[in-house]
Amino acid sequence: MLVVACIKQVPDTTQVQIDPVTNTLVREGIPFIVNPYDAHALEEALRLKDRFGFRVAALSMGPPNAEATLKKALALGVDEAILLSDRVFGGADTLATSRVLSEAIGRLNLREKVGIVICGKQTIDGDTAQVGPGIATRLGYTQLTLVDRIEKLDPLLGRITVRRKLEGRHETVEAPLPVLLTVVRELNRPRYPTVPMRLESAEATVQVWSNRELQLDQEGIGLKGSPTWVSRIFSPERQKGEIVGDGAADPAGAADLLVDKLLSRDLLVV
Amino acid sequence: MKALLIGEYRQGKLLDTTYELKAFADRLGADSVMLLVGSDSELPKYDGTLYLADAAKYGEYNPDQHKQLVLQAVEKENPDCIVFVHSSYGWDLAPRVAVALKAGQVSEIVALNEGAYEVNACNAKLRRTVTPKSGRCVLTIQAGAFTPSGEPQGTPQPERLELSGTASAIEFVGYEAAEQKGVDLSKAEVIVSAGRGVGKKDNVPVIAALASALGGELGASRPVVDAGWVDHSHQVGTTGQTVSPKLYVACGISGAIQHLAGMKKADFIVAINKDKDAPIGEIADVLVVADVMQFVPAFTAKCAR
Repeated sequence: MLVVACIKQVPDTTQVQIDPVTNTLVREGIPFIVNPYDAHALEEALRLKDRFGFRVAALSMGPPNAEATLKKALALGVDEAILLSDRVFGGADTLATSRVLSEAIGRLNLREKVGIVICGKQTIDGDTAQVGPGIATRLGYTQLTLVDRIEKLDPLLGRITVRRKLEGRHETVEAPLPVLLTVVRELNRPRYPTVPMRLESAEATVQVWSNRELQLDQEGIGLKGSPTWVSRIFSPERQKGEIVGDGAADPAGAADLLVDKLLSRDLLVV
Repeated sequence: MKALLIGEYRQGKLLDTTYELKAFADRLGADSVMLLVGSDSELPKYDGTLYLADAAKYGEYNPDQHKQLVLQAVEKENPDCIVFVHSSYGWDLAPRVAVALKAGQVSEIVALNEGAYEVNACNAKLRRTVTPKSGRCVLTIQAGAFTPSGEPQGTPQPERLELSGTASAIEFVGYEAAEQKGVDLSKAEVIVSAGRGVGKKDNVPVIAALASALGGELGASRPVVDAGWVDHSHQVGTTGQTVSPKLYVACGISGAIQHLAGMKKADFIVAINKDKDAPIGEIADVLVVADVMQFVPAFTAKCAR
């Protein structure tokens, strides 16, 4: 059985800066990381490999530099890494993205039966949480979102039991394979690559598939295949939040002003 | 423009967020009909057609069946948009419906802008304006972003929905309550929370000292808990506790949406952050722009005076 982990390279949103003049994202110098939720997806795939001996493929769609992210996946122990990269895939929204990813998973399935696809619950740059479910629906796999624990997996019977994390409670459900899971952070603690594995993976190659391999109709992919488009990206205006004093230059002065504020609202007992 | 609103029913109760869907439709200037998989005893106060399916029969959530029910209502009403709340329910169901209808989806809408939708990106540091190109679209709205203007009122005209088959690939096993342990922040009147801006674990006592000077409890944001600086029982946010103290002091917390969701109901919010543009500033009442480790000791000294 093949387990596929879908991972995306994203800008480290904790370091994203806004250009104060153009009010847009500053792209230069922002480090790229594996989408944090996808790191948990990858880890779970590797744990299934450790436990059941499944083969694991890491799959990503992105620009050529996303190869770096897949190299990291190889260093962690995935058996193969595939980058879906082509100019015609660019500008895709979630519907067009799930089209390309599901086509690639379909191709992998021809070589070796895919039993489980694992995605992060969402990306930190897009926040849509639509790509995983989109893949599941297109491939006709059972979709299980917000998974925080795999309770049971029976590869022979082809059934899986998972726990889903909902608001203030958990739900346990059982479903037939093949499944697509989207996972939350509570699922596991991702491993770090060991030095020997890092060295070994330096030799390993990431397969790059363009649309020459996938042969998708261009109407359904990229910008053309996207029913939504982002017309503007900007920094939201601050509605509230009065700045008190100059906390950097004069902490004590700002502290006095803040104490006064709290006193005037009866929030401080002196 | 016509909107199909998907109400939400959980643990035997109609959820109040159902009324936010109506507020959203009103803001959009759309006519609306509603669908609810719920019960006769918990009907929404809503003037209009209500497609009602029985939760006793179709579960509080069964992905396959609920999807079929939504698609039935879509066929009857031919709506321009289908609107969900961005909860675990809408999270799972909306994309299934979108792909089945080959419709575009816009997730977690926080505002409207001349026919386009505004959504957060990059931890709410940025906003995107998204325009659907396809005729029909599936939308999810952020809970709390579209609040109803008054008390909901009205009487729905229920129309029953039934499915011919009840087969589903997913078998429901059971629910269990999330484990609650340690500090109960939900009852605290004052909470002082540590975020990544505190720098390192050794600095956490400085924040705890402010909490005790203010007579409150220590809270924490997710990265701080993940790093093992503070125990999970202190975590505030969607994966931690939801709190509503009189005073909330956020120390070095940038304000990820999951954190904001857990504390935005606080009466008065003080944010201490180096970055004056951090999203926490959007909901804070006052903001001190400073390094946490420089400012907090000075502030604690004044409070303890």
